[in-house]
Amino acid sequence: MRAFHAELSKLFSLPGIWLAFLIGVFAPAVIAALDSIAQKEEIIAGVSTRLSEVGYIGLALGVQGVIILGVLAVSSEYLTESSESGGGQQITTSLTVVSSRLHFLLAKAGAVTVISILLCMVAIITTVSATHLILGEYTPALEWSRLIGAVCYWTFTALLALGITVLTKNSIIPLAVLMINSSVVSFSVLLYRVTKLAFYLPDRAGFEMFMFTSDRYHTPLTGSLFDRYHTPFTGGLVMFTWVAVIFIVAAIVFHRRDVAA
Amino acid sequence: MSVSSSRKITPILGAELDKLVTLPWIWITLMGTFMLNLVLAAAYTSVGLQGAAGTQNILNIGLASMGYLQAGFIILGILATCSEYTGGQIRTTLTVIPWRGFQLSAKHLAMAIITIPAAFIITASGVLYTFIMMKDTAVVIEIDAIIESLAGATGYLTLTTLLSAAIGGLLRRTTPALVILLGYYFIVSPLTRDFLPSIRIYFPDTAGHYMYMPPSSDEINGLTPVQGTCILMLWTLIFITVAIVFYRKRDA
Repeated sequence: MRAFHAELSKLFSLPGIWLAFLIGVFAPAVIAALDSIAQKEEIIAGVSTRLSEVGYIGLALGVQGVIILGVLAVSSEYLTESSESGGGQQITTSLTVVSSRLHFLLAKAGAVTVISILLCMVAIITTVSATHLILGEYTPALEWSRLIGAVCYWTFTALLALGITVLTKNSIIPLAVLMINSSVVSFSVLLYRVTKLAFYLPDRAGFEMFMFTSDRYHTPLTGSLFDRYHTPFTGGLVMFTWVAVIFIVAAIVFHRRDVAA
Repeated sequence: MSVSSSRKITPILGAELDKLVTLPWIWITLMGTFMLNLVLAAAYTSVGLQGAAGTQNILNIGLASMGYLQAGFIILGILATCSEYTGGQIRTTLTVIPWRGFQLSAKHLAMAIITIPAAFIITASGVLYTFIMMKDTAVVIEIDAIIESLAGATGYLTLTTLLSAAIGGLLRRTTPALVILLGYYFIVSPLTRDFLPSIRIYFPDTAGHYMYMPPSSDEINGLTPVQGTCILMLWTLIFITVAIVFYRKRDA
């Protein structure tokens, strides 16, 4: 419990974390607002096709915030300080204080999970109010199951980011891979046209938890690329398996590795 | 100390090149980008082969991976300038080269010298792979068009790298620079396609897009490659100038 507190306070004292909060809270609302404006024109013109997806697209892209959170939580530990202040790394101090590596990793994962759940809830509130403000009476009814799906998607993505960063010890690779992959031009969109196995990639499976409720889904952003493949529950299960596998691998590697080497 | 500026430039450029060449992450990034591009080219080619035969343009498919490819070059640019600030190398640099404007300009020049051949090799390998795989099915186009597109793609990647280097120099920290640039190129920019279609052709990435993409008929108000180059170059120069101005004013 004390390790958990320590991890929380370490996270909150990172300067980069404010960037994560800013993106996580405001980006979904802004994207949802822009999408709502586009939707409103379509509704007035009578050609609306995807009203049920409004807002969720913001949550799908706002996941960037928790990716930064998960990556920073680990990569900040490995940041080498300047030679003028000793050239140390925070990880040596952290592991001196919490000597069980598994406890350390669990505390970190716990802190990241709690913050991403909170962040996602705030994001849902801002997004829902943004869509209400713009769409007014046309606003689609909230579905709790889908909102919970979005929270799960954010949490799993943050944990995935954390696990990958433990393996790479560096922020560049996980940030680049995960940010590109959770954007509109995700790799899995490309791979899905090559092989059906791409449906089992974590981001694609995770999307099913709250996107694509209609059988055939169509937006100007993605074209008619997406068909529904998993049910929300199996989508979540597939993504959870990915998170669990990466986490176990990360824990084993972290356990066997020299402190900062 | 007065040294004539022409005598200064060569050793500064040499030093900057030396620093970039010895940065291990530069080579890791370049190799990674090269591999990734081949994998993507293979994926796009296989998608293309599944599609209607005989109608595809090799260039369109070979350069389709550019959207992902630019990430590697963005990282390259950020690494080049941000690496100075990790561990306080910047103070050594400025002790040895006390002319800040010259130093940063030389760094951008050195960056361009490394990026141009790398970008050319990487884009050419992608197009070559597509060409070999699709020789029989796709419409073969003349060699002039291929060279023109490859030159455009190389120019686009180089200018993007310089732009990222300038922004890296402004922000001085790797992670925020990476987040902002990747966020812009991969999230904000695709979104503006729907929401701000009229002004987005003047944005750096969309303007640059016209440098290498073969002109398509369904685009109404597209730019010519020359216009695209000019706009992207203007953006790059603006950011480099801002970076130099801040660099001269700011504490190391």
